[in-house]
Amino acid sequence: MYTLGIDIGSTSSDAVVMRDGRDIIAASVVSLGAGTIGPQLAYEKVLKEAKITAEDIGGAVATGYGRKTCDYAAKDLSELTCHAKGIHFLIPTARTVIDIGGQDAKVLQIGAQGQLMNFAMNDKCAAGTGRFLEVMAKVLNVKIEDMGSLSMKAKEPVSISNTCTVFAESEVISQLSSKKDIADIAAGIHRSVAKRVAGMAMRVGKQPDVAMSGGVALNAGIVKALEEELNTSILVHPYCQLAGAIGAAMAAWEDIREEGKG
Amino acid sequence: MADIQKRLSELAAAVDNPKERLEYYLGQGKKVVGCFPAYTPEELVHASGMIPMGLWGAQTEWKEVKRYLPAFACPIMQSNLELGLRGAYKGLSAVIIPTLCDTFRCVSQDWRFAVEDIPMIPVTHPQNNANEGSTDFLVSEYESVLNKLSVITGMRMTDAALEETIEIYNEHSRLMQEFAQTANDHLDVITPAIRHIVMKSAQFYEKAEHSEIMKDIIEELKNMPKHNFTGKKVILSGITAEPTEILDILAEYKIAVVGDDLVQESHQYRVLIPEKGGSAVRRLALQWKNRKGCSLVHEDFKSRGEMLVELAKANEAAGAVYCQMKFCDPEEYDYPICARTLRAAGIQVLQLDIDQQKGSFEQARTRIQTFAEML
Repeated sequence: MYTLGIDIGSTSSDAVVMRDGRDIIAASVVSLGAGTIGPQLAYEKVLKEAKITAEDIGGAVATGYGRKTCDYAAKDLSELTCHAKGIHFLIPTARTVIDIGGQDAKVLQIGAQGQLMNFAMNDKCAAGTGRFLEVMAKVLNVKIEDMGSLSMKAKEPVSISNTCTVFAESEVISQLSSKKDIADIAAGIHRSVAKRVAGMAMRVGKQPDVAMSGGVALNAGIVKALEEELNTSILVHPYCQLAGAIGAAMAAWEDIREEGKG
Repeated sequence: MADIQKRLSELAAAVDNPKERLEYYLGQGKKVVGCFPAYTPEELVHASGMIPMGLWGAQTEWKEVKRYLPAFACPIMQSNLELGLRGAYKGLSAVIIPTLCDTFRCVSQDWRFAVEDIPMIPVTHPQNNANEGSTDFLVSEYESVLNKLSVITGMRMTDAALEETIEIYNEHSRLMQEFAQTANDHLDVITPAIRHIVMKSAQFYEKAEHSEIMKDIIEELKNMPKHNFTGKKVILSGITAEPTEILDILAEYKIAVVGDDLVQESHQYRVLIPEKGGSAVRRLALQWKNRKGCSLVHEDFKSRGEMLVELAKANEAAGAVYCQMKFCDPEEYDYPICARTLRAAGIQVLQLDIDQQKGSFEQARTRIQTFAEML
């Protein structure tokens, strides 16, 4: 039976179709989030890729910032629960999961069965989030997807504040005025995010293996900075961006099984 | 059912519009004294023939207060001082401000200079209440408060009046304890928000008057068949759990509150004034000596974690929500100890930021939903 999981974030919409809660049949990522046509596009795209129609879907669960707005989902789950489930599916040995989303950063502690044991989330502040990276990329006039490779060329990363996006933006402008190397600034930005998120990880309790989920995990610069900050290697699955949607699709399958339909 | 709803609506109206309660008492020719949080000796106000009224902040925009406090100060103190500066407390004969944390200390002095038309009466609790001299010190503090109250009333409170007040307050505390227990059999009627309203409402009533309302509510609850609640049960800990939107999100995810360790709620009622111990003022001071398990009371070895475990187990709660008042250092210090003790006992913990202001609750919703899914 097919189940669908959709993760409607603040900056992107990711959808996954799974068969029997085991096999990923199709996935789609659209760089438009809640309140846009992104979720609908991701939904249509994933059905097309799976070569199925809406009628073939046995159950759907929505997650993410826009989870309440998905009318075809039987229920919604928090993105933390879904990322825990999704990462456990992708990397069963992971016990600590770092998810840097567009609006918030989270650190999850998960049990051997993929159950969520504890978590920490940033407060109402953009520092340490995907939005922070976006703002900084704009200041540097660099595409967000190029930030990772750029920062890997750094020789002397600069120091950037990790407490406030607005102040950090001023700092970056000041570093640019001082003719600092753009790669060093990019690495400094990543360190700034890493310091903030590492603080949360230490609060929750860093247990191996440590994995990253969400789209920001594709930024090698952030992963490297976090590895240095946490003094541990971080596992990143190629499907890390889809972890929330995978968790949601798995939750839909679990519900079907509980109802005895699966 | 109709009667209980009527009584609950009365209390909700008082919580929604404390100003109306102030006008009501002023209309009766009574003097009203505002009592800042927490553990303010309101019994001294009551025994002096005046009405003590709690001032626990509000959902209000901070403008004037920015002249006195930085953005990272306690939200309750920000709101109280803002309302004082704006003249919202007009009609109060005085305010009593305890100095239980750094922000309180600043605000007591800010008030003295900024809100000149409402006199400020400071009271300092000996936070190390195990210290031998603590009771003597507190008695002298209470005497000082009485001296200032007598300036307002033109007469000195008598020991007999305070004895009578203590009876009223102890009866009220017993009733509030009974309500908290009885409510757990009726979690369909006593939702988290309603429980909070009942516990908070006492601040806006003369206590004997509130006791009469509570007797009705408890009786009505006892007459109703017990409700079989199938959702998840939690306890709350912290200074306050406001605004009610937060509590409504708990209810939305089928989470009931079956006990609390909130300074604004059960802390007010959980320690009775001792029957013996000397003069009435001394007995009142001895109540403070019996307080423990609170971030505002010094303990060499913090007992709050164990107390929370006991509270959760006694009420079959699977989780504890630590309502972390924003920028509250004493509460931040207690959190790791409480969380560790609770988790060791198999009780899940959610630390939830409380800033009392209305706004977006999406982050709180995500945290609460995640917690509900974890339980």
